[in-house]
Amino acid sequence: MNRNILMSLQDLIAGAARGDHACFAQIYERTHLHLFGVAVRMLGNEQAAEDVLQEAYVSIWKNAGGYRSSVDGQEIQPITWLIAIVRNKALDALRARKRRNTHEQPLATGPDGEAETEADTAADPAPGAAQLFDQAMHALRIDGCMSALDGSFRQSLALAYYQGLSHTEVAAQMNAPLGTVKAWIRRGLDKLRACLSAQGVAP
Amino acid sequence: MRYTDARLLDALASAYALGTLEGGARRRFERLMRDRADVRDVVAQWEQRLGQLALSVPQRKPSADLWRAIAARTQPAQAQQARQARPSRWTSWLRPAGFGFGGLVAGVIAASALFLAVPGAFITSDQLAMRTGERLPQSYVGVLTDTDGRGRLLVSSLRHGRTVTLKVLGATALPVSGDERLVLWALPADAAPFAIGTVPASGAGTLTLPDTSEKLLSKVSRLVVTRERSASPAAPSADVVLSGACAKLW
Repeated sequence: MNRNILMSLQDLIAGAARGDHACFAQIYERTHLHLFGVAVRMLGNEQAAEDVLQEAYVSIWKNAGGYRSSVDGQEIQPITWLIAIVRNKALDALRARKRRNTHEQPLATGPDGEAETEADTAADPAPGAAQLFDQAMHALRIDGCMSALDGSFRQSLALAYYQGLSHTEVAAQMNAPLGTVKAWIRRGLDKLRACLSAQGVAP
Repeated sequence: MRYTDARLLDALASAYALGTLEGGARRRFERLMRDRADVRDVVAQWEQRLGQLALSVPQRKPSADLWRAIAARTQPAQAQQARQARPSRWTSWLRPAGFGFGGLVAGVIAASALFLAVPGAFITSDQLAMRTGERLPQSYVGVLTDTDGRGRLLVSSLRHGRTVTLKVLGATALPVSGDERLVLWALPADAAPFAIGTVPASGAGTLTLPDTSEKLLSKVSRLVVTRERSASPAAPSADVVLSGACAKLW
């Protein structure tokens, strides 16, 4: 284990791919606080997030050999690979929850007659999605570049990313037409790519 | 859908990585990812971009039970696999071909055991194809050795794919200085050598081919890696670091 402390996350993943469980334990040690934060943010409660994290780490153990450190000469950071696994498991859980809810209440409506969304349960943990988005942009030093976009573009992208909302849910939350929201998110993603690329953070 | 339009693929990959691709479309896209390394590459790049957004999410501490549950689900399987694993020479990577024809029953267990027996030999596309399709993929494979005869680089490419997967073997990085790069060359039997791309000094990587490996590599019997100073060398330099045979794995 002492040897593992000096290893990079990338080498630990390679170790786990060879079946070295001590490497896998060290991956958990280094990443679980962050990944649990991501899962709680998406799912809105700790128990559901623990279930998701359990599935995610079992998947990481089984699929460690699938991690590639570079694509076309561009680095793929191991942490972003891990985050993607957790987010996909969380999205599965959110969709399963939605199917159960739809089954029980075909069309949930609030007292004002407005459609309630899954976001209502996931939205309460502070800080808000837009705030997290702005913090990330600032930390990446692309806030200037991204500010060229209207706030609703950034807000729709933030809701989809941090809360795992679908296009329809983002549209309901922002009280905007579905087609408009799809275009906002598309433009937001394009701008994010351009800004990250200009900053040399990601391809 | 044929998914040949690069812009459509990029849009689908970004929606998949973000999570807004839903239902049947998401499942279809996941199947496509299993079959195509180039699609996985585009997704990996989007995950790399979007992953930056997660860095601002505050950390949270789960209960101590979580690790116990994860360890319980991963350790016993690991012990079982370790018992099946046999240390073997690197040349034995050809042996699993027999498994493929016989049908890799219990795909995950068998593939994992092979994986342990031959560390790093089956990765990414090939490994996925083995695990999901329970077969060995139709591919070109090369194992390049250094001057001491040690296997240092595994090169593989699905025959109908346009991606080459690279895996540097061994504990040390390949020897290269800051102003040089390692270039992988294909040496066809009846034509001039052509560059496939840059090899990482350590770890794994992928390269994109201008055409399918079936077209490009069918007449290639040898691969070499040279150290190059030029950004786009026209021919391999004499500074050969690794070399090896390129074989068609059925």
